[in-house]
This record gives sequence, C-alpha cells and structure tokens, in this order.
Amino acid sequence: MIEVSNLVKDYGTVVAVRDVSFRVGKGEVVGFLGPNGAGKSTTLRMLAGFLGPTSGSIRIHGYDVQREPIAARRHLGYMPEAAPLYPELRVREYLHFRAALKHVPRRERARAVEAAMERASVTELADTLILHLSKGYRQRVALADALVASPPLLILDEPTAGLDPNQNREVRRLIRELGKTHTILLSTHILSEVEATCDRALVIDRGRLVAEGTLDALLALGRRRGLEGELRDPERRAADVARSVHGVRALSFRDGADAPDHVHVTVELDTDTDEKAIAERLVAAWVGAGVGVRALGPGKSSLEDVFAALTEHPEAGAPA
Amino acid sequence: MTGFFAVYRREMLSLWVTPLAWVLLVVFLLLEGAVFYSIVVHFATLPDLSVDTGPVQAFFGQESILLLLTLMLLCPALTMRTFAEERRSGTIEALLTAPVTPTAVVLGKYLAVVTTYALMWAPTVLYVLILRNTGTVDVPVVLTSYAGLLGVGATYLAAGTLMSAMTRSQLVALLLTIFVVFGLFVLGVGEYVFEDGPLREIAAHLSMASQMEDFSKGIVDSRRLVLDGSLVALCLFLTVRVVDSWRWG
Repeated sequence: MIEVSNLVKDYGTVVAVRDVSFRVGKGEVVGFLGPNGAGKSTTLRMLAGFLGPTSGSIRIHGYDVQREPIAARRHLGYMPEAAPLYPELRVREYLHFRAALKHVPRRERARAVEAAMERASVTELADTLILHLSKGYRQRVALADALVASPPLLILDEPTAGLDPNQNREVRRLIRELGKTHTILLSTHILSEVEATCDRALVIDRGRLVAEGTLDALLALGRRRGLEGELRDPERRAADVARSVHGVRALSFRDGADAPDHVHVTVELDTDTDEKAIAERLVAAWVGAGVGVRALGPGKSSLEDVFAALTEHPEAGAPA
Repeated sequence: MTGFFAVYRREMLSLWVTPLAWVLLVVFLLLEGAVFYSIVVHFATLPDLSVDTGPVQAFFGQESILLLLTLMLLCPALTMRTFAEERRSGTIEALLTAPVTPTAVVLGKYLAVVTTYALMWAPTVLYVLILRNTGTVDVPVVLTSYAGLLGVGATYLAAGTLMSAMTRSQLVALLLTIFVVFGLFVLGVGEYVFEDGPLREIAAHLSMASQMEDFSKGIVDSRRLVLDGSLVALCLFLTVRVVDSWRWG
C-alpha cells in the first residue's frame, strides 16, 4: 500500500527527515511513533503530497506520489493534524464539497456523505455550522472527510490529539473498526494509542527511523536485562541469600499488599551472564534458605521503556 | 481540470455565506447609487448633449476616475481572503492533498471572485433601465462599457489573487493589491505627464482609465483586451507557480 524509500526532507535550516524507508502492507494498521518534532508530520505530509521530498520516493497503491500525484491521492484519505475545516460551512455542505473534490460521482455523492457521517458518528450534526463544533467533533468531521471517497488507505496525523478521554476511546474504537476494512497509517506520540490500535509500529526520532516491528518485537527490544518475581519472605533473608549468588549485581524489593508475606523483587544482573542459569541458581538458593519463591521470570518492559530507550539522547545538547 | 467545479462552488458558497461579499455589495451599491444620482442631477441641468457624452458614459468612467477608484478598493477586498485565509487556517493542507491540480484550484477560486464581481455590477443594470424611461440609451455603448468593466475588474482580481497567495495575512494581501493596482493607475497617468515619445505610448497603453474612457464611448480597442488578457494570464500563471512552490517550503 505504501512504499517509502530513502525519503529525505531538508528544510534548509533543519533536516526534518533523514533517509527513511518503510513499507505498509495491505490491511495493516501501523502506528507511526515518535516524540514531538521527530518528523512524523513532515513524513505524513510528504506521503499525502502536501510537501515534496528533497530526495527519495513514495509509492501509494503503486502510484508514484511525485509523478502521478492525482492517481496516488485518489487512493488515500488523509487527515491533517489540526483537522482544518471551513468554519462557515455546515458539516454536510463541507463533506459534499470534499466528495466532489475527490471525484465521487454526482449520483453517489449524497449516499457517500451520509455513509461517512454515519461511520464517524456525526450524522446528528449534519446541519450544524463547523464553527460551532467542539474539537472532538471537528476531528470526527475530518475523519469523515478522509472516509468519504472510500479510499483503501487512510493516513491519520495524530487522530486523537486534543481529545478528552471519552472521545479518545471513541476514536480508538473507530480506528480499530476501520482497520478491518482499510489499511491505516496513523501517527502519535502516545504509546497507549499504538498499543490500543496498531498491529505494528514504526518509531521515528530526530528524522530517523530507529525501530520497526510488531508490538511484541518492540517490547523485546526495550526489555531490560534482569529478573522479576514475587517472594514470600517473612524472615527477610532473600536479599542476603541472593547476594551470594554469582552474577547478581543488585536487588530491589517492594512490599506487596500483604507484606512481608508477599514481596516483589527486581534483580539486576551482571552483563555477559546467562539469565536462565542465574535464575536457576537463585531459585535454588532461595528455596534452600526457606524463602518462598512464588514467581520468577524475565523482566517485563512497557512500551514507555522502549520508547525512552530508543529515543533518549545521552549526547543531549548536541546539534540535532 | 479535475476539481475545478468543486473549488468554484465552495468558493462561491463561502463568499456569500460570510458577511464580506454582502458588506462590499452594500457599500459598493451605496457608492454607485450616489454617483449615479449626482450624474443624473448634473446632466438634467445641461441644455443639450453631444453624441458620446451623457449620463451613461459618465457613469462608466468618462472624464472621471471615481469609478476606477471604487474598483481599486473593491477588487482587492474581494480577493484578499482567497489564499491567505486558507493558509492561515490550515485548510490549504486539506485542499491540496485532495486529488486536484493547483491550476484547478487557482482557476476555481479566481472565477468565483470574478463571478461575484459581476454579480455586484448586476443591480446597476437598473440605472440603465431608469435612464431608458426618460430618454434614449445607446445599448451597444452600455454593452461595451460593461465589457470594459469586466476587463479592468478581471485584471485587478487576478493581481489580487496573486497577492493573496503571497502572504498568510488578509490585511497584507489587501494592502499589496491596492499598492499594485494603484501603481498600474499611476503608470497610466503618465499619458498626461510625459512628453510625446515611447514612454507616453507605454503609459497610454497601460492606462486602465483610458480603457474605461474608450469602452464607455463604445470603442472596443482589441489592444486593451489583449493587455487585460495578458495581465490576467500572467498573474494566474504566477499564482499557480506560487501554490506549487508551497510543496517545497
């Protein structure tokens, strides 16, 4: 659906996108993830044909965005970040205009507009001036606009930015539902959004693609080496015992609800050690010492950790 | 030309559902009505008239720059929002990512303001009808006068469309356009300033005042129309290039 190769956008004063390549296959819902200012919007604007790339190529549905812009744009529904709309028009008038602009044949226009309003749940606002709509409803009208010509591909730039939690949940539900019938590329800087809606994520930072993969693969990337577990340790001996096990560097304990019967433990390991072998020795030592081992496994990570690991800059302050 | 009609219709709708066109229309008609009234009163006191001076000719710009001055304010106000507003509010992004060509967008917007301009003149046909009730009106002269108005207006509106694409501020677009059309007018004044020679020729050729003078006498000089057409084409071509250039910002 989308093939991007070696995409570069140089604004002259700043290079916003540096050599980005990726593909999005038919039927996928892909999250385009990155901190603010990472180049997400610039990349999506190039995909939608609003900005021209400095170099590199983009194909949408097989059409080169530069050479066959009209054909490429006919196959995508793009929702810009700020959801810009004409405030002086009514919702239905606006969507009629957009449908005409997007080559929906005259006879089918009214039906296409009604269907798009239905999907984005704005039917009851059809005759309201856009001027009077709240941010959340504007967002939905922009989404209805992206849907109105029923393109196979949707590109949504921060579809939930500025929404309240209820609207947020509503839009995510909508995206999941649309994902069954459309290919979707959506950008966000909110990780839970990717978790909630996407099959796969692309992580961009300072114009570079720093990671790409399914959510599980990304989670594995950011996983800290170490072990996590739960112990029953009434005599408080787990720490002393563990320190004698070779390969254990540090431990931290957090009492659970029914402390000290239930203690949460995080174990940091020396580098270049076999995690599994240490886990085995640790369990043996604890059990031998009378500590109840209720669970022990590889350290978990959240998408937040991955994001931080991939995009934090030890050389902060260096020119971007 | 894909998207042309959609852009044209949206532009007409936006022009007429917002107060701008109505405010301009009211001010314009009040002004023209006052001018017409004073012209009629003036001519009513004259004993006899020669063939090509009369209230109709006077109204359409003969021996007076009143009409041109009105156009120099009306046209920039009509075009100032064309592109500036879309860029300020960001709607330009939605517009240019739709499957439309920049040419269709520019032509759609331009023809919408030209149509609006023509609609503003439409009520003045009443003045001609009023005059016909009390005397004879030279119909071909009326027609050529309106053609001249359309020519001058089309030129000013094209300049305004270009200026509106140059800035995100409607006010700046308005001032730039007034500056340009007033500059064109001042060049035309050269006809009465310069000695005989090439400078005077150029000034006379560029003069929008002389154009209205000619057309209001029933003289259709094709050179005038070629000038209008060339200026419109140049401005619109540049506008398309400017719109295209935003991709590379």
